[in-house]
Amino acid sequence: MTLPVTIIMIEDDEGHARLIERNIRRSGVNNEIVSFANGTDAMRHLFGADGSGLVQKGNALLILLDLNLPDMTGIDILKQIKENKYLKASPVVVLTTTDDSQEIKRCYELGCNVYITKPVNYENFANAIRQLGLFFSVIQVPPAAS
Amino acid sequence: MTAEAHRRRAFWQLLLIAAGLLVLTVISAGSVYLVNKARDDSKWVIHTIEAENQINALLLEIRRAESSARGFLLTQGPDFQSDHEKAVASIIPALDKLTRQIGDNPAQRESIEKLSAAIKLRLDQFSREMNFVKQGQPDNAVAFIREAAAGNTTTTIGNLTNAMIREEERLFRIRTANSDRSQTLAASMTGIGSGLVVLLALISTWLVRRSARARDEAEARLRDANSNLEAVVHERTADLREANDEIQRFAYIVSHDLRSPLVNIMGFTSELEELGGDIFRRVSSLTHVPADGPPPADGQIALEGPDQQLAADFSEALGFIKSSIAKMDRLISAILNLTREGRREFQPEKVDTRGLIEAIASTLAHQASEAQAEIHIDPLPNLVSDRLALEQIFSNLIDNAIKYLKNGVPGEIRIRGRTKLGYAIFEISDNGRGIDPKDHQRIFDLFRRAGTQDKQGQGIGLAHVRALVRRLGGTMSLSSELNAGSTFTITLPITWNASNRNADK
Repeated sequence: MTLPVTIIMIEDDEGHARLIERNIRRSGVNNEIVSFANGTDAMRHLFGADGSGLVQKGNALLILLDLNLPDMTGIDILKQIKENKYLKASPVVVLTTTDDSQEIKRCYELGCNVYITKPVNYENFANAIRQLGLFFSVIQVPPAAS
Repeated sequence: MTAEAHRRRAFWQLLLIAAGLLVLTVISAGSVYLVNKARDDSKWVIHTIEAENQINALLLEIRRAESSARGFLLTQGPDFQSDHEKAVASIIPALDKLTRQIGDNPAQRESIEKLSAAIKLRLDQFSREMNFVKQGQPDNAVAFIREAAAGNTTTTIGNLTNAMIREEERLFRIRTANSDRSQTLAASMTGIGSGLVVLLALISTWLVRRSARARDEAEARLRDANSNLEAVVHERTADLREANDEIQRFAYIVSHDLRSPLVNIMGFTSELEELGGDIFRRVSSLTHVPADGPPPADGQIALEGPDQQLAADFSEALGFIKSSIAKMDRLISAILNLTREGRREFQPEKVDTRGLIEAIASTLAHQASEAQAEIHIDPLPNLVSDRLALEQIFSNLIDNAIKYLKNGVPGEIRIRGRTKLGYAIFEISDNGRGIDPKDHQRIFDLFRRAGTQDKQGQGIGLAHVRALVRRLGGTMSLSSELNAGSTFTITLPITWNASNRNADK
């Protein structure tokens, strides 16, 4: 990787966050992971205090997003990320328990790059995250500058 | 307005019309009668006047005869004689006419008998008088007249006629009064009758108007009630729909949120399992440091005695946890799928039912041949309905029929169909193990099963099938005995339209 990519994980369930992080590490990805347990904090981090997203200018980000958050829906966050000129180039991976086809379709329409359903079967779950790790290691993340 | 009041009102109106008719008839009859009576009375009045006239005319003739006889006596002129003869000749017819005219009155008849006797006497006197004069004995005639005057015949006649005239005048007064009364009566009768008719007409009009007003009010109330009813139905339907949506949403959210912790439980259980493996491997390497030879290969754990027991207990516990999690996950998935099905909107289309079931049978052919089962499909009525829902209904039922056959008995599954009053009735029967009647309700409940539990299953199929049948506007029933096969009967509307069930989408 040419640029140090920061992984932003927006996941309200601490257990899930821990499992995801663990499996990402197991796949050999050592990038910094910044996690947020609610949408408000994540939004403040991504868009800054002024909400313009200028704070992330020049940073390479990869966003892991859960759809079911206590304070807002992941769909809203996804929409705002994809509408922001500094952030829209950052890949977004939706990682959630919802396997409703309508929801999946909606996410892709809004510009999500990968949609992963959290399976209860841990083998599959771990496998999916590791695959994602491999994906992270080859993906070219552009800096959020324009 | 109640039916009773309505009947009463109609009865009163009828009565009113009857009364009006009666009054009209009575007035007409009364008027005719009274007019006739008045005419009669007038006739009698005229009759009286005529009788009086006749009496006077008779009296006049008698006087004429008398005066002409006197003239003849004095002058012996032939003019007087002929005049006298003319007068005498008209006396008897006048008397006869008078007799005829007043023949109806007994009192007058008596008088006229006396009068005619007197007149005859007088006429006799006249003829004798005239004879004396004609024979040239005027003296005798004068003597006779004197004698006759003593007999007072003329006075008698005068008195009698006067009495008769008085009688006729009395009758005239009575009859005039009668006639007047009749006419007054007729006039007042007509007047009162007309007044009554007008009154009845007014009452009738008032009644009609009142009834019309009542009807208008009732109509307005009915309209109000109708629109109100519609609003109420709308409201209730909306409430039900909302409640149903709420339940769907609730089931969806609950099953969703239940899944999230389950991911953690499963994840960390697996982590624990790995940790356990690591721990026991270390225990093994600590307790079994082989004096000779290499350490045990990675992944191989060699434990002894209580340590081995511990490891076995540990993995047994984890195994139970994991299988329970898996089961819970299946249940949650089932609920999710059910709620998702419940939210799906039906797309009615023309469905070749037999083709659809044949397709299902061919996908189940493998299971069927394993169970030595034959599927017979009779000609079936076609439907306009949701294809996917029909597929799920029939494949669940046929799948169940294959799954729960009697061991060792070749299965025979038959699908029959017929139509009745806009509904298609399908029967799926088998010769399988059957269902105890006490379980007939239970098997349609979610997660409930019945009979020998030797087959995989969550207890969802029939619950799902029944939910679908209901959403399609149909009903479902079961007839079965233990060990005697089962027949599931499904009644579906031939044409499903969104209006009959889309309320609970």
